[in-house]
Amino acid sequence: MKGYRKYFGKKLAWFLITLVVAVILNFVLPRLMPADPVSAITGKMAQGMTDASAVQEIYKRYEEEFGTNKPMIEQFFIFVKNLFRGDLGTSFSQYPRKVSDIISSAIGWTIALQFPAIIVGWLLGNLLGALAAYIRKGFDKVLLPIALFLSNVPAFGMAVTLLVLFAVNLKIAPIGGGYAFDMIPNFSWRFIQSVIAHYQLPFWSIVLVSIGGQAVGMRSMSIYELNADYVKYARFLGIKDHKIVGYVFRNAMLPQVTGLALSIGTMIGGALVAEIIFSYPGLGSTMYSAVTAADYPLISATTLIITIMVLIVTFVLDIVYGFIDPRVKAAQFDA
Amino acid sequence: MSKTMLEVNGLTTKYVTRFREDVYAVDHVSLKIEQGKSLGIAGESGCGKSTLALSLMGYYFPPLHYMSGDIIIDGRNISGMNPDDVRKNVLGTEIAYIPQAAMNALNPTRKIYKFIEDVVQAHNPKANKKDIYEMARHRFTELGLPLEALDKYAVELSGGMKQRVVIAISTILKPKVLIADEPSSALDVTSQKMVIKMLRDMMEKGFIQAMIFITHELPLLYNVTDDIMVMYAGQIVERGTAKQMVFDPVHPYSRGLMNSILVPEEGTRDVKLKAIPGTPPNLKKPPAGCRFAERCPYARPACTYNQMPILEFAPGRTYRCGLSVDELREIYRREDEAKGGPHDE
Amino acid sequence: MKNTLRQVFHSSKFVVGFVIFVAILLTMFIYPLFNPGNPLEMIGVGTFARPGTYFSLYDAVKTPTETLRLANADDKRLGKQLSDEDRVAIVAWLSAVNVNVEGLDINDTEALLEQWRANYDPSVKPKGMTQAKRNYYKRLDAALKEVDAADTLIIADKNEEGQLEQQGTITKTDYVNVGQVANVKTLPLGTDNFGRDVLKELVSAAGTSIVIGLLAGLVATLIGLTLGLLSGYVGGICDDIIMFFTNIFTVIPGFVLLILISYSIGQEQRGAAVVALVIGLTSWTWTCRSVRSQVISLRNRDHVNLSKLSGHSLVRIILTDILPYIASYVVMAFILQVSSGILAEAQLSLLGLGPKTTEVPTLGLMMNWAMLYSAHTNGSWWAYFPVILTITLISFSLNLMNTGLDQVFNPTLRD
Repeated sequence: MKGYRKYFGKKLAWFLITLVVAVILNFVLPRLMPADPVSAITGKMAQGMTDASAVQEIYKRYEEEFGTNKPMIEQFFIFVKNLFRGDLGTSFSQYPRKVSDIISSAIGWTIALQFPAIIVGWLLGNLLGALAAYIRKGFDKVLLPIALFLSNVPAFGMAVTLLVLFAVNLKIAPIGGGYAFDMIPNFSWRFIQSVIAHYQLPFWSIVLVSIGGQAVGMRSMSIYELNADYVKYARFLGIKDHKIVGYVFRNAMLPQVTGLALSIGTMIGGALVAEIIFSYPGLGSTMYSAVTAADYPLISATTLIITIMVLIVTFVLDIVYGFIDPRVKAAQFDA
Repeated sequence: MSKTMLEVNGLTTKYVTRFREDVYAVDHVSLKIEQGKSLGIAGESGCGKSTLALSLMGYYFPPLHYMSGDIIIDGRNISGMNPDDVRKNVLGTEIAYIPQAAMNALNPTRKIYKFIEDVVQAHNPKANKKDIYEMARHRFTELGLPLEALDKYAVELSGGMKQRVVIAISTILKPKVLIADEPSSALDVTSQKMVIKMLRDMMEKGFIQAMIFITHELPLLYNVTDDIMVMYAGQIVERGTAKQMVFDPVHPYSRGLMNSILVPEEGTRDVKLKAIPGTPPNLKKPPAGCRFAERCPYARPACTYNQMPILEFAPGRTYRCGLSVDELREIYRREDEAKGGPHDE
Repeated sequence: MKNTLRQVFHSSKFVVGFVIFVAILLTMFIYPLFNPGNPLEMIGVGTFARPGTYFSLYDAVKTPTETLRLANADDKRLGKQLSDEDRVAIVAWLSAVNVNVEGLDINDTEALLEQWRANYDPSVKPKGMTQAKRNYYKRLDAALKEVDAADTLIIADKNEEGQLEQQGTITKTDYVNVGQVANVKTLPLGTDNFGRDVLKELVSAAGTSIVIGLLAGLVATLIGLTLGLLSGYVGGICDDIIMFFTNIFTVIPGFVLLILISYSIGQEQRGAAVVALVIGLTSWTWTCRSVRSQVISLRNRDHVNLSKLSGHSLVRIILTDILPYIASYVVMAFILQVSSGILAEAQLSLLGLGPKTTEVPTLGLMMNWAMLYSAHTNGSWWAYFPVILTITLISFSLNLMNTGLDQVFNPTLRD
């Protein structure tokens, strides 16, 4: 247990450090750029305005809002203070809605869509990959190229393909949105049904995309494990194949957990773009509309929230990994 | 005369490479071990000794394939048996194996006692887990292994401990024949001694009836096994008792091996390679004559094309060379004199 | 080296990937020779013209005609005008008047019309059919007869008094040779929302995207390689610092940084090269990690130690004793970086943060335009599907090559 506590502490420290760096980057990056975001935004907002003093007024207001008239370091502390209070500023495009309000209405959709989809895709992919590694001949020849091809279809490509196939042509799924547009969110059966119907295509497009990559990874991992010395040894002790396959599956699966932790950021990135295709009311679509409307506070907040989400997931996966893989514990004792 | 535990006649196996070429890594190997005896097999890396270890198990998986020959364990020929049958009724119970890289031989995510459970249940599905655990504890005590090791994962054990645990697991079902493939080569000297002592203990206590010990360090075998066999390019080139082989090697290759390694320490691999110039032949196209001829300092033209049979020149002593034993001994005597006396033993 | 290449080309996966990739590259170079010009030129005024061969109707009218009497010409003409709903309705009528419609294919215009002409009778009132429906059938029949009847089209032009004067007629049996029509344009993939030739645009976009991918991959590999070498070979505090940042940037999603930086740069400054650079800057961590672990396993090998003892400089040791041994890993990492760079550009463009839209097309921009103009919901598959396929094929071929290399250099993965 001592080794594990050490592991946990180390991971927690890393999580916190990374979080701080992420917040700093989120603050600094836009401000490092030559273009002054405030004037860029003012330019956008003041389009068509002829009255110079009105433009000046808008500029002042945004300067105030951002605090860009204060020194950088002071700005940063205000930023952090506001962050702790959950205040992410006011949206430009949906003025006077608070950014935190927009985010909180979107984040639930994204979490409910992406995590189940990624987990299901991961599980199915690993199962298929292990099967492919175990059966090899024939199966390998057919399934592997398909999986490799599938894994290279970009998430948005899969989203568009499914959308066109099932929503536009076969008309068995809705075109987009999180629920029928004539409904108001409530807990009626009809609404839930609508949500489930709208859930299918985005869900399966993310699942299909993640299956391919996971299956390919799991296959090579399993082949690697099948060639490991302990497999040979177990065979020579007369242990039955199904038992050995169990060993291999477990041992190949473990690095896949770390793999998931390392690639979750990329996967979420792809899935966010897929959301846009379905106009799914999650963070991806929020970000898209924010970019289109040059809604600076909203962009900044969405990127920060996504980063924090990814950091938390990575942290949790690391912790889970420490529990299920005895090698981690041993490594901590060595260190 | 005691009974024969392991008899191998003309065993030939091959590897099939990715490019579908056949490599005959074990070529007509015959040997015999009596009850209570041990046999050492020595040779450079790549000489086929590890493949021989795998081939002796009677159970083959790609890229290794069985070609011909018999493996008879305690009077039962296992080479014609159905592979599933071999796996269930021979492996682990009749013949057991200690792999070259014991470091990686244990499943890293399974506790030792769990693995022992798997081994026992593979042969006796009805075995009770509690009984198995008790039996494992008993055996570990007998072999002087710490009982805590049972409840650990392989990664938590030190290298030497891992190797000894592997030996204990391999012999948990008291197999008749044990094949140990370089069980000590990756260990430090203290651990090496412990491993070797443990193997000898097991012979004495009757956990195993016969043993084959494979190593690239010929002199090491002197303290471990009764007989020694030297392999080169998939063939046996010489066999004799440990004493004969160490003090009176006849085949030029055995002598090369003997002279090249004096101290079993890290770094000797390179020294050894320099001691016998050249590399083993490509077994995809083995030479027609003596396979060692290319590297042999005493080779004659006939050696390169004459088939080289294995000959018995004294009771229990065989060799495979184009020169007669007397000719070889005469050459060696002159060499030693030139160097300033025979090497000191 | 030669032996390594032989082995690499022995791997069927590598060869397949290589062939696909080279085919794409060749298309990029060869196609513009046959179809030169600016790929962003808006040749169509409308949006989303279907794929096919277009010829100028004006020119066709003025082209000398030949008379051809072809069987079924009338039916084919009718067939083009008969909608799917009409076809279904005809079958419905036929079954209503007890004609056996089994085996009747609604796409077989000839058979359908034959049955219709034989069995339609306006005076029959099938059971349960409303008056409105019967009127519909009357209109349908009339329309079909009209098409049948109208024999000629008149070409008229204004004369000097401003009155229309007949210049000639076109009959149904008049044909022109397409080869003699002055202006013919084949658009194998139609046009996009701006009326641009999709195939031409696609070929150019694939080229730009590959260049973006290569540039991004190069930047990422150079950074990753340098940091990985330093971290792995020099070790110590240098290693600690580099690994500190590498670990942080492995966890912070590169995608997010990419969005932030791209947005901050602003639309005007965002050329294709800038986007590539930014992608490269946010994706070097993988290369750094794998190079580092390779170098660490190498740095205490005998040949490296020998070099150190001989007093060779750091640069020389790295160049001659380390780099050759990790070259295969670096190449593999580079290939993956190229493929993920192309994907990153596409995703960025879909978000509206891609290269500025006025200079060059990229695969991401094409996808973005198609989505903005709802190509996916209005059935204009040619505007987005070839783009998805191209991205997938490029990335598929690169990954196949990578898998092939992996099998050659990682013996445990060999089949």
